[in-house]
Amino acid sequence: MPELELDLTVNGRRITRHVDPSYRLLDLLRDDLALTGTKEGCGAGECGTCSVFVDGKLFKSCLMPASKAQGTTIETIEGLSRPGELTPVQRAFHKTGASQCGYCIPGMVMAATSALRENPAAGIEEIKERMGGNICRCTGYTKIFEAVEIARDVIAGTLPETALNPELTKTSYIGHNTRRLDAPSKVSGRLKYAGDMEMQGMLHMQVLRSPHAHARISRIDTSKAEALPGVHCVITCDDVPGEDGFGVFVHDQPIMARGKVRHVGEAVAAVAADTVRIAREATKLIAVEYEPLPGLYDPEEALRPGAPVIHDYAADNVVKHIPLRKGDIETGFAAAELIIEERFSTQQVEHAYLEPEAGIAYVDHDDVVTVISPSQNITHHRHMLSTIIDKPINKVRFIMSPVGGGFGGKEDMIYQGMLALSAMKSGRPVRLVFTREESIMASAKRHPSRTSYRMGLTKEGRITAVEFSMLSDGGAYGMSSEGVMRKAAILSCGPYEVENIKVDTTVVYTNNTPSGAFRTFGGMQAQFATESMMDMAAEKLGLDPFEIRRRNMMKAGSRTHTQQTLNSASIDRVLEAAETASRWEAGPPNVRGANRSDLDGPDTRQPCTLGARFNEARHQIEKAKVAS
Amino acid sequence: MLTCDTYLMPTSLKEALEAWAAAPKGSRLVAGATDILPWAREGRGGDVHLPSMIDLSRVTELCGYEVQGDRVRLNANVVYQVFLEDKTLIRLLPNMPYCAAWFADDQIRQQATLVGNIVNASPAGDGIPPVLTLNGEIELARLDHGAVASRRMPVSDFITGPGRTEMAPGEIATAVILDAMEGYGGSFQKVGLRRSLVISAVCCTALIKTGDDGRIIEDVRLALGGIGPRPIRLRDIEEMLRGRQMTSELVAEASLKPAEMVASRSRVEYRRAVTSGFVEAAIEDALVTLGAPKPEPDQRETLHA
Ligand SMILES: Cc1cc2nc3c(=O)[nH]c(=O)nc-3n(C[C@H](O)[C@H](O)[C@H](O)COP(=O)(O)OP(=O)(O)OC[C@H]3O[C@@H](n4cnc5c(N)ncnc54)[C@H](O)[C@@H]3O)c2cc1C
Ligand code: FES
Ligand code: FES
Repeated sequence: MPELELDLTVNGRRITRHVDPSYRLLDLLRDDLALTGTKEGCGAGECGTCSVFVDGKLFKSCLMPASKAQGTTIETIEGLSRPGELTPVQRAFHKTGASQCGYCIPGMVMAATSALRENPAAGIEEIKERMGGNICRCTGYTKIFEAVEIARDVIAGTLPETALNPELTKTSYIGHNTRRLDAPSKVSGRLKYAGDMEMQGMLHMQVLRSPHAHARISRIDTSKAEALPGVHCVITCDDVPGEDGFGVFVHDQPIMARGKVRHVGEAVAAVAADTVRIAREATKLIAVEYEPLPGLYDPEEALRPGAPVIHDYAADNVVKHIPLRKGDIETGFAAAELIIEERFSTQQVEHAYLEPEAGIAYVDHDDVVTVISPSQNITHHRHMLSTIIDKPINKVRFIMSPVGGGFGGKEDMIYQGMLALSAMKSGRPVRLVFTREESIMASAKRHPSRTSYRMGLTKEGRITAVEFSMLSDGGAYGMSSEGVMRKAAILSCGPYEVENIKVDTTVVYTNNTPSGAFRTFGGMQAQFATESMMDMAAEKLGLDPFEIRRRNMMKAGSRTHTQQTLNSASIDRVLEAAETASRWEAGPPNVRGANRSDLDGPDTRQPCTLGARFNEARHQIEKAKVAS
Repeated sequence: MLTCDTYLMPTSLKEALEAWAAAPKGSRLVAGATDILPWAREGRGGDVHLPSMIDLSRVTELCGYEVQGDRVRLNANVVYQVFLEDKTLIRLLPNMPYCAAWFADDQIRQQATLVGNIVNASPAGDGIPPVLTLNGEIELARLDHGAVASRRMPVSDFITGPGRTEMAPGEIATAVILDAMEGYGGSFQKVGLRRSLVISAVCCTALIKTGDDGRIIEDVRLALGGIGPRPIRLRDIEEMLRGRQMTSELVAEASLKPAEMVASRSRVEYRRAVTSGFVEAAIEDALVTLGAPKPEPDQRETLHA
């Protein structure tokens, strides 16, 4: 392969390199220069984790072929300040706590720096627009923008340097704005996530994934892939030495497809090779013969008699059914003066943490199989892996790397097993970094749900009975489904005291992408239905929506849906805070208040506009006119 | 993943045309690379291997722009950010800054070229409707017996469908030539899933010139994107408005018809609703840049009630 000769200046140092002509600037920085503060969140220009300065202008390095950098001057996050020092922008991020998982933060710091270099007097709207190419999934933008405004004012001299110092905490941290200990490593780009780590002799893994939703695998031929120069090993389910199967509740998922595939994107085989490019080529040389099977894509169909069976152990396709009973709903509905029936559905949701799944595995000098990854559940993973690879627990180690956002999506052991197997087979450290597309395709999602709801109420708005039935699409594997159903059932009827309830939550197998843990763990789906019912009930009864909630809310001494007696409850304070903050005008939900003071006031979201820099420019011209 | 055997960076047009003529089948020209790199990924082009990539960004003749009488010649390497920063272009191409503000983000705009956007010929390409209102012509160069030869054609003829153009093998787009529209008000409307980094579901642009009193519409140009296989100019609506006294009723009337032109394959009802609102807002916003007062939202509501 002809190589590309590059000569450029990076963070003040002249660099000459011979690289693959397909390299992007991002690859040069991360792989050749070990400048891993620049991240790859998407590889497609969408996220801004890869932002760097090229000749003073901010660019997305994932969209820049390395050749374009020939002769340029590059500045990365590592070049903003000397080691151990932080710029005012970085210090302001540290101060406001603008670094949750931190994965977006180097890019955010670069974008903020660029915005203030372009216009040191930029107003907040212009700052927002200039940083519009950078996404954060966990800090949220408020603290970030707060930091940029502080930095701007400190740089301009309108705020003293001391504004960057931590707030003084006296004897207690509680109730104080306390700085995060790990923030300096995040704002400076020094923190190494799994995909940033390298080991000597490290190989790169790529995974062959199923194009079918449901198919029997009749043959896998890996010989051509194994013969490709640069390939060290190819693994399939046949390489599993122990008892295959993982999952949070049922161990129904093999490390790689065994006998059949159950969803599009399921891992079928994996290759470890000298480079990502070789590993990727090798996956294309693996021949897999599939016999397509009828697929199941709808949870209701999964329950029909005669439906295709996804897992032999569950002939009815049910992963878990959680029934919950309290009182007697017949009595409750008989006492009702109003009965409302509705159906609700929610969709599948991707976590979209900015750090795509990544990990390194190696077998150490004492034969300890070690996996480094941003796993949200290392102890459980360790136990499962020890059974799968048939090693005693003291020969299996999991190290949790910084999690670049998880939201529940990194609880399942969907790739750590493959890493361990290939490290064992090749005898070398092996790293796998998902692409964004792979992350979306192969990781678990929030459960799509369908809820049938029946609620009985008195004219005064007291709930007399609830019948709640939720069917969730668990997708191809069990993962955290059972726990999610439990939580959905426990939280089903919300923070309201109901004497008579009949709750059923059921999750079934389909050939859709597996569903798993996701923030709220089933609570959101249930609350969406319950809170909507409360509003509909308020409307039908002519009651204020806050009032109907107050009439039903749990208090100290209330019995929950699972019959626990509460010592305290805070829903009254929550309602009060929400009512005040929204400037709610009392009345039923379908009646507009006389003043509509809930609209357009402070803290309401304004319609989306762009072009703050024009308005500000115009404003400056007008100011100048007035002055002269 | 995009891979290639060679990545060339010619510095003159002749050199580029020679490299392009000699390039093995399947090679590609590259400008900003903001379409090509994301295309070569799972779910779109997949892994793509190109024998040769010929990068035009260092070709001297393709850099910069020139004002030629009442036309502006933008050479192929002009990137979107220039429309937000270059004072002369802001004055002469009054709808381009607004288009640029809605295009991708500040970083991608440093790289993405207007010509790349046109050649890519996406039905939702944001630069195309403004270019149609600016009576854009594209210039295409080729090698003819070893010498550089070129031809020109209107962009409206050049783009023949989604991703399809009249570009012939061996040709390189060298410039887009636009009307200079000093004194016109310009605007751009766009809706997608979020504010930055989003492909238009619908976009609409206007250029407008009023008489001295600000009431008579002397000239108006309108175009829509995202509503069918390719962006379109709204010549009949322009005709209807030209020479008329500006009233909000007239603008509201003009905004009804374009909805019928929506010929997308998806979300037709939504696009129709948006289209009407956008034509009206585009005209109003363009007038605002000429100094007209900004209409209050409830004023609009009353008008449509
Ligand atoms: C995150 C992101 C956001 C985006 N947002 C928007 C948006 O808001 N609106 C929008 O319209 N587009 C958007 N795009 C798409 C893209 O940025 C534009 O289409 C851009 O204008 C393409 O220009 P380029 O110079 O990068 O083209 P390239 O990717 O380099 O090339 C595009 C195509 O044109 C050909 N080509 C380029 N130059 C020439 C030439 N001189 N002669 C002949 N052929 C040529 C190339 O071979 C290729 O086929 C976005 C892209 C990304 C990644
Ligand atoms: S924008 Fe470059 S990695 Fe996401
Ligand atoms: S801190 Fe921004 S993505 Fe996690």
